[in-house]
Amino acid sequence: MSGTTHPSRRGFLGSAIGFAVLAGGGLQVLRDAALAQPTSRAVNAWVTLSSDGEVVIRFASAEMGQGVNTSLPMILAEEMDADWSRVRVEQLDQGPVATFGNPNTGGILFTAGSSSVEGYFAIMRRAGAHARRILIHSAAQAWRVRPGEVTTEPGVILHRASGRRMEFGAVAALPQIVTDVPPVSDADLKPRSAWRLIGTNPDRRDIPGKTRGGTVYSIDVRVPNMLYAALALPPVEGERPVRVSDTRALAVPGVARVIRMPHAVAVLAERWEAATAARDALDVEWTTSSPFRSADTEKDLAETASAARDLNRPGVPWEARGNAPDAIAAGARVIEAEYRTEPTYHAQMEPLAAIASVDPDGRGAEVWLGTQSQTVSIAAAAQALETTPDRIRFHAMQMGGGFGRRTFFARDILRDALLLSREMRRPVKVMWTREDDIRNGWFRPATAHHLQAVLSPEGRVTALRHRVASPSVLAFAAPQRWAAANNRDILVMEGTESTDYAIPDFLAEHVILERRARVSAWRGIGWGPNLYAREAFIDELAEAAGSDPVSIRRQLLASSPRGLAVLDTVVAMSDFGRPPPRRAHGISFAGYKATLGAGVAEVSLNTDTGEIRVHRFWAAVDSGIAIHPKNLEAQAEGGIIFGLSGLLKERITISGGEVQQANFHDYEPMRIHEIPEVRIRIIESGAPPSGAGEIGVPMTGAAVANAVHALTGKRLRQMPFTPDRVKQALST
Amino acid sequence: MPTLIVNGRSFSVDAEPETPLLWALREHLGLTGTKFGCGAGLCGACTVHLDGEAVFACQTPIEAADGRAVTTIEGLSNTGDHPVQRAWVQEQVPQCGYCQSGQIMRAAALLAANPRPTREEIIDAMSSNLCRCGTYPRIIRAVERAAGEV
Repeated sequence: MSGTTHPSRRGFLGSAIGFAVLAGGGLQVLRDAALAQPTSRAVNAWVTLSSDGEVVIRFASAEMGQGVNTSLPMILAEEMDADWSRVRVEQLDQGPVATFGNPNTGGILFTAGSSSVEGYFAIMRRAGAHARRILIHSAAQAWRVRPGEVTTEPGVILHRASGRRMEFGAVAALPQIVTDVPPVSDADLKPRSAWRLIGTNPDRRDIPGKTRGGTVYSIDVRVPNMLYAALALPPVEGERPVRVSDTRALAVPGVARVIRMPHAVAVLAERWEAATAARDALDVEWTTSSPFRSADTEKDLAETASAARDLNRPGVPWEARGNAPDAIAAGARVIEAEYRTEPTYHAQMEPLAAIASVDPDGRGAEVWLGTQSQTVSIAAAAQALETTPDRIRFHAMQMGGGFGRRTFFARDILRDALLLSREMRRPVKVMWTREDDIRNGWFRPATAHHLQAVLSPEGRVTALRHRVASPSVLAFAAPQRWAAANNRDILVMEGTESTDYAIPDFLAEHVILERRARVSAWRGIGWGPNLYAREAFIDELAEAAGSDPVSIRRQLLASSPRGLAVLDTVVAMSDFGRPPPRRAHGISFAGYKATLGAGVAEVSLNTDTGEIRVHRFWAAVDSGIAIHPKNLEAQAEGGIIFGLSGLLKERITISGGEVQQANFHDYEPMRIHEIPEVRIRIIESGAPPSGAGEIGVPMTGAAVANAVHALTGKRLRQMPFTPDRVKQALST
Repeated sequence: MPTLIVNGRSFSVDAEPETPLLWALREHLGLTGTKFGCGAGLCGACTVHLDGEAVFACQTPIEAADGRAVTTIEGLSNTGDHPVQRAWVQEQVPQCGYCQSGQIMRAAALLAANPRPTREEIIDAMSSNLCRCGTYPRIIRAVERAAGEV
């Protein structure tokens, strides 16, 4: 077994243990612990026992706020029958993918797509059952009884016939443990009725550290003899420095060197403030030959929309059932509509930072990085140094927000830290300022959606065609995956498939355009834009059919009991359609992979300013078995606020290839006074657990747009629904 | 050389007087609980107390803090048991956690000046601090919970 963790740097100390050390008598506790020297013993790849009773459980996803540090170990602890108050959790820094990879993210250590609980549920259960089996067999051997007579209670192994008991920790001190145990099968797993931990709400393990300033993010890492690097980055992607005047920069006290890189100019200094001051004193002339010089978000979006509309432009089918084009050609009553979204930026609160300390031979390194994928980052580091992954000693740091920003992307800043450290023969910390982070962002791309549907004489939706025009995110973010993807872009198209809706003739297709900016997944991935377009369109169909938003969705969801359940629940929660005076309700059904949700927004509108106010938002969410319902609720709530922020306020514009926004004054996420009251209800369908981190986002767009329509009779066809755009819609 | 009094201890900081307090705390003194978010007084991640008042450390040159009492998240309480910190745990506020030092410092300063704020006063005070994970509803609840206890 391999795989490494570095718990000492983290704030993941179990709260009970943490208080024991920190509170009264702390010195005595520490001294006794030092004297006793507890022995620890690995039980399997995921579990280590300590003779003092501590059970260390590893998790392989990366923590960025979603609570996997608690939910994943809970699953294992459940099957192991560990005493949760004695569990310490450790995030894995690196390890073999065969043991630790997430089957739902390509089998590697990669945290994205709300897939952690979904992908690791079975793995963690089996790992826990396997660990428990080892404990039972080890105790049975020590007691000279048959394993079948031995059982467990939380933290204790029991032989009821003789009354013998052994704490889990005592197994660590046995002369020998039995690891050669029969394999665990699904039949060995606890029935749900026996669960003690899953479905409860223990405190998240990371929260005490995060309330004391003790949690260490990559931007916080300081290593001895470290240099700081600030980068002068080109104004337009793809430009290169052609002339660098660094006299003034080098005169700043504390500046060590100015290094011209192919894509940037780096200033290295003993102090960060010196590095940034010197960077500002640089005079850099850049090439002006980048093809991205012509990028212009407004013009590009108009072209994107015409590509979506132009049915002669071939689309790559993403999902086809029946034959939608033929049905539409023959349809007596065809309804068409168009929706657009503009680029958005992640605005994770921690700007990017990477720290590298390259070995004297230049062929290995110690690295600290907040990343959504340990595996991808280690491979990128090895590639940068032209070495092998085993030479990379990796620390996967707590992330100050991810939201898709740290998936494939973190490789560039990591590469720069490595190359600069190798050059300087000292550890280097590269930090981006907020301005760097925005101007060099990887954005959710603009999309245009051309939708066509056939309504039967009875008002049923019998055909639907959803064309999405946008660049491929996958092609840019993960070229190797794209090469094998057969032009199917999961990061753009997922969500269009509409499998919960019973529509006989259906086609979702992707009109793939050249990218005009760096593009990335953004919380909600394709589901956000795709479901905004589809669900706003469904309301248009309801109106055309003389139906209503709830009835038409109930009809479409007729063969989806889970879909109906979330829809009916949110209708009841919100008392849908009966808002207070001068407000209106809008509804959206939404999914996110296997998770289902439905949301209702209650809005009012200042017709003078065009400002939308979302007063209340209700959501029903079915993500199968809820491991930690309170955390699931927090994730759904956070996702809704994230989604509302995006659709009301957020827009990246690019002109002449330059990103026009620079900081939170011109790219301002939602603030506390702008949020609605949010109510979440979790529906327990008993389905296998699925993701919770993103389900809040996709339901927001159409819920708000449909509410504004209910209030004003106007459709909001382009996200974000900024005041100027709302006023424009009102005047048409 | 400016002298900073941080969490009750004095430090001489070898930095230019206009250096933002944020970098003196984080990179010179190693108090990394105070976070860098924007460098422009827009997000509040760097909120600390200067003589008990909440300020943006990124907008406070160290010369302006010279000889005044600076309190950071690390010094808000000895063991993380300030009522606001306790409320943050009880309400399970943080997600990624990056903004939370600043949120807690902002809330603590509010409650020190106004122990019984209305909901509107809480929202008004906290509106200078951004959270991207969407923990705002919990922040409001936690400040309300802590209000009676400060």
